Amino acid sequence: MTMSTTPLTPEIVSQDGNAMVLSMGPQHPSTHGVLQLLLEIDSENVVKAEPEIGYLHTGIEKTAEGLFWTQAQTVIERMDYLAPSSNALCYALGVEKLLGITDQIPERAQTIRVLHMEMTRIASHLVWLGTHGIDLGAISVFFYCFDLRENILDLQEATGGARMHPNYVRVGGLNGDLPDGVLAQLDALIEKFPGRMRELRGLLQANPIFQDRTIDVGVLSPEDALGWNVTGPSLRASGIAYDVRKAFPYCGYETYEFDVPTRTEGDAYARFLVRLDEMEQAMRIVEQARRRLDRPGPVMIDDPKVAAPPKETIALSMEALIHHFKLMSEGFRVPPGDVYQAIESPRGELGFYIVSNGENRPYRVRTRPPSMYNLQALKGIAPGNLIADLVVMIGSLDPVFGEVDR
Amino acid sequence: MPSTQIPPITGAAIDPPSLRPPIGDAVIERIDPQALRARLEALKADGFTMLLDLGAVDYLTRKPRFDVVYHLLKLPARAASVSEVGTPVRMRILCGVDDGQALPSVMDLWTSADWAEREVYDLFGIVFEGHADLRRIQMPYDWEGHPLRKDYPMRGPERERSPRPAFANKSNVVAGTPPSGRTLAALQEQVKRVRAQDDKTP
Repeated sequence: MTMSTTPLTPEIVSQDGNAMVLSMGPQHPSTHGVLQLLLEIDSENVVKAEPEIGYLHTGIEKTAEGLFWTQAQTVIERMDYLAPSSNALCYALGVEKLLGITDQIPERAQTIRVLHMEMTRIASHLVWLGTHGIDLGAISVFFYCFDLRENILDLQEATGGARMHPNYVRVGGLNGDLPDGVLAQLDALIEKFPGRMRELRGLLQANPIFQDRTIDVGVLSPEDALGWNVTGPSLRASGIAYDVRKAFPYCGYETYEFDVPTRTEGDAYARFLVRLDEMEQAMRIVEQARRRLDRPGPVMIDDPKVAAPPKETIALSMEALIHHFKLMSEGFRVPPGDVYQAIESPRGELGFYIVSNGENRPYRVRTRPPSMYNLQALKGIAPGNLIADLVVMIGSLDPVFGEVDR
Repeated sequence: MPSTQIPPITGAAIDPPSLRPPIGDAVIERIDPQALRARLEALKADGFTMLLDLGAVDYLTRKPRFDVVYHLLKLPARAASVSEVGTPVRMRILCGVDDGQALPSVMDLWTSADWAEREVYDLFGIVFEGHADLRRIQMPYDWEGHPLRKDYPMRGPERERSPRPAFANKSNVVAGTPPSGRTLAALQEQVKRVRAQDDKTP
């Protein structure tokens, strides 16, 4: 067993021949965050790539152990900062399973959760597409993407009160119903989306420069993808149609009609196509969810032990006041047990292994971070490629470092 | 401040998986460290192509102290459509391991175990024998201690904090309201001490 204290051991530094060691990042703009790559290169070719992570380690799992079940959701939401609601939803679903209230979540809450998740997926893929374009020199794509993303963030702000981390999904349902006017905004977005997608496809899909840079770059065979534990669009681009929404449905995904786009090439271009198709499928789900939203209904579980009673009732009912006080001052308790809950986040299978010891705080929250495992596959696909193609491969794996490092 | 306390350890924490009502999220199996490697090899041969995740839980007072948790997924390597994937089997292997006890690495079975084992080693201090490159992954290389252990303080290791002289003179301490409850004289004494130390060090 070797335990080197520094990543650059003397053997690596002092090797002879044409090979040399190059450190790329952690401030390199194309690494999508704080990723350092230790590259062993032979002229322009990558012989070995060793990603160094941990620059953004914030100890979220440790912090969560000291917070109430609801408070922990606030820090957990900050892991995947491009798709914050997916973290919150996965955690909430896990806690709900431990509480045994999964089947009591109101239907409207589930619909809005699905709506929110798919919008998050589109927003997250838009950031990926924009930055992936910039990496390859296609600057204008970025502006198209961020314009559309801004519409989605406006909706998030309207529902949750914050653009980036709405903290809208809660254990037991949602933090309030959709406010007036949001549905009109949503309709406008649904109307705008297809045209904007056509533009985005037109900018890149048949673009010969883009194709030259991405086709046959970073090929991931199905066996390698499984071995490296790659999930999400990257796995589906390698020909395996594994989607948690279909395999282990949650929030009523089994009642929505949508396809799981797959490709068999497994290269960066296939991953690009899969994500683009996925955005269109996500919008299909959004449209279906939108139609279900015309019916009003509760959005929070009717259980004062988990959900605070409506604020207005505090002045009228002693019980409401007591429940409110108890929930705010010491939170709720979760029966002892452990659970693994997974959802399909924009990056792949996001999982939470939650252990409760019956207290009002999580005993342990272990995340299965899709970004981390997807990024790890870089070690497998980078060797043999050009340095210039590294940014394509990083971009096509779509890591988010808040989640890789947590 | 409740949020800085170490979460209380109660009897219920000893083995939560055995206490809970069946949720049915996976097939759960508890296994000894000696039998772990052979069992995982058999599962891999049985078609569990993915080691979805590898984590650990520290139960502090329990014997053995840690649980290392393997999440496996039985996903066929050729499954081009959703119906072919179906609902793959999830499996959860819990392996109790004591402080200082090593576990066999499964990096050769699933390449993805590389970073996962490094992370468990980094944050819990559980050593995986046979891992090619077992070094810290999240924390800095010269870090001491393993932060996700329950006896590791929530706010990090205790560090001697040097008071900032300039700040102390300017703050409301001078105005007569020491927030720490210490008197101005005591603080000035401390400042003097620190300055004397600073002078001594080149």
